[in-house]
Amino acid sequence: MKRAVLPLILPTLILLLVLVIYPTIHLFYMIFQSFNPLIDVVPRFAGLRNFFVLMSDPEAHYAIIIMLLLTTITTPIQLGLGILLGILLTSKYLHGKTILTPLLLIPVSIPAVIIGLNWKMIFFTKGPLNAFLESIGIESQPWLSMPFGNPFNTIFCLAILDIWQWTPFIALAVASGIESAPIDVREAASLDGASETQILRHIVLPMIKSVIVIIFLLRVIDSLKIFDIIYMLTFGGPGNVTTTLPFYIYKIGFTLTAARADLGYASLLAVALLFIASILIVVTLMRVFNIKKVIWE
Amino acid sequence: MKKKSLLTILITMSGWIIIVMYLLPFVWMLGTSFKPIGEWGVPILLPQNPTLKNYVEVLVTGGIYGVRGHFPPIVRYLFNSIIVSVVVAFITCFLGAMTGYAILRFRAGGINFANWMLSLRMIPPVVVLYPLVVMTKSIALYDTLGGLILVYPLITIPITTWFMIGAFKSVPRETEEAALLDGCSEFQVFYKIALPQATAGLATAFIFAFLFSWSEFLIPLLLAPSESAMPLTVFAAYFSNQYGILWGPLSAAAVIISIPVIVLAILIRRYLIRGLTMGFVR
Repeated sequence: MKRAVLPLILPTLILLLVLVIYPTIHLFYMIFQSFNPLIDVVPRFAGLRNFFVLMSDPEAHYAIIIMLLLTTITTPIQLGLGILLGILLTSKYLHGKTILTPLLLIPVSIPAVIIGLNWKMIFFTKGPLNAFLESIGIESQPWLSMPFGNPFNTIFCLAILDIWQWTPFIALAVASGIESAPIDVREAASLDGASETQILRHIVLPMIKSVIVIIFLLRVIDSLKIFDIIYMLTFGGPGNVTTTLPFYIYKIGFTLTAARADLGYASLLAVALLFIASILIVVTLMRVFNIKKVIWE
Repeated sequence: MKKKSLLTILITMSGWIIIVMYLLPFVWMLGTSFKPIGEWGVPILLPQNPTLKNYVEVLVTGGIYGVRGHFPPIVRYLFNSIIVSVVVAFITCFLGAMTGYAILRFRAGGINFANWMLSLRMIPPVVVLYPLVVMTKSIALYDTLGGLILVYPLITIPITTWFMIGAFKSVPRETEEAALLDGCSEFQVFYKIALPQATAGLATAFIFAFLFSWSEFLIPLLLAPSESAMPLTVFAAYFSNQYGILWGPLSAAAVIISIPVIVLAILIRRYLIRGLTMGFVR
């Protein structure tokens, strides 16, 4: 190893040791403990109890299912809309791209919390969405409010939020994928008499296929992180309808008023999330991302 | 030729309409931030009697709305957000540069280290947050700016490292090799030759780290429960409570939080997609 390597990576390694390695070890220690900070002074050894709880906890199963369900709803829609919008953005007939592209960066860049607050305003019972629906003759809906609304309205709301937030990102990525495709191929095809749609279908889309696969995987992996918008919009409710696994971990581990607060069990849930994420990440890294090529060639 | 101009008009118009419609929710928030209290519940996009009262209350005086709640001016939280984001961005863009350079030029840690670095960007942070709460409590950094500055690199280091790998790739190797032959040590080559040539990349990495720190919500929610360290993103949640939602001030605060990130994102728009896709989409 070169002499300069160690001083270059040592600070980062130490920091990651503190921020990643140590917490992971702590996590794997905690999954065999039971610890409710309201009752216990120190964690108590609980053996495999947390595992049995996890196996017979319908809320945890629901949290995993709803997390994956939300992903399966939103990702294909985002991808479809994003690709269409991306194609529109690169159309040579579209004028004003220098203004439109920065505008599309707004949903991509504003903090997810703000997006949650923003849409809370839109979905508010006396808010603009209901006013609009009433004006076209549809009865207003209690989109988010608890007792009378249809609980699945809230899942729909969350899906809308996620789609709104990420479609422009996909559109911009697809657009930059299309723009990096060699332009002379397109021009040659155009000279050969291929129509715009033919060029799109047979030349451009195959060229950006890899881009689309990568974005798809990144979106699926990132969807395991969704927390902020749930916290702002629904707080996991009504009931536990929108409590996804990350939010369930938060509920069990950090909202200490809960009678069921148990940091041991929360740690096991965190390990479960880590496990799900790792499977996706390993598959992604092994199958699709050619890291060696991206970095060293 | 006529068909072409028709197409131009059609596509340009539909493109603009789609994107403007798309941004309506944000425009709604922008509009609400200028609405006086009487208009908060009125479903009209633009304020009828625009006022700056919401901004004045949020930034300077604080607001009291009886049973609907009250709030202090956000200056303190704004200060927290700025300090933490700037310090974290500053530290991690350099750490990212060092690590990225070591990975790119010396293959430090081999393919596994690079893979691990990339996977850190993908693991949901909620997984490791409980142990980090325990840790910051045990070293007296819980609920301090220092604690946030310590923990935020969990999010930003993988991003800056990955971004700097890309930035150093475009630095020509020849000058570095020449400097090596002239007797510079590898470390000197890094900070005397490579780093100065990658300043633009370093600045972009700084902005990236700043954007992510500024927007971070979950970490400060758990690590900074009081005003001594709470950043704006967490404080914004306080405008809506069980008694009601102060739409006007809430919108004003949300706009204040959003403006810097929108400006910075537009500034680095050429690199934004590359950064967000970890360099896999150029």
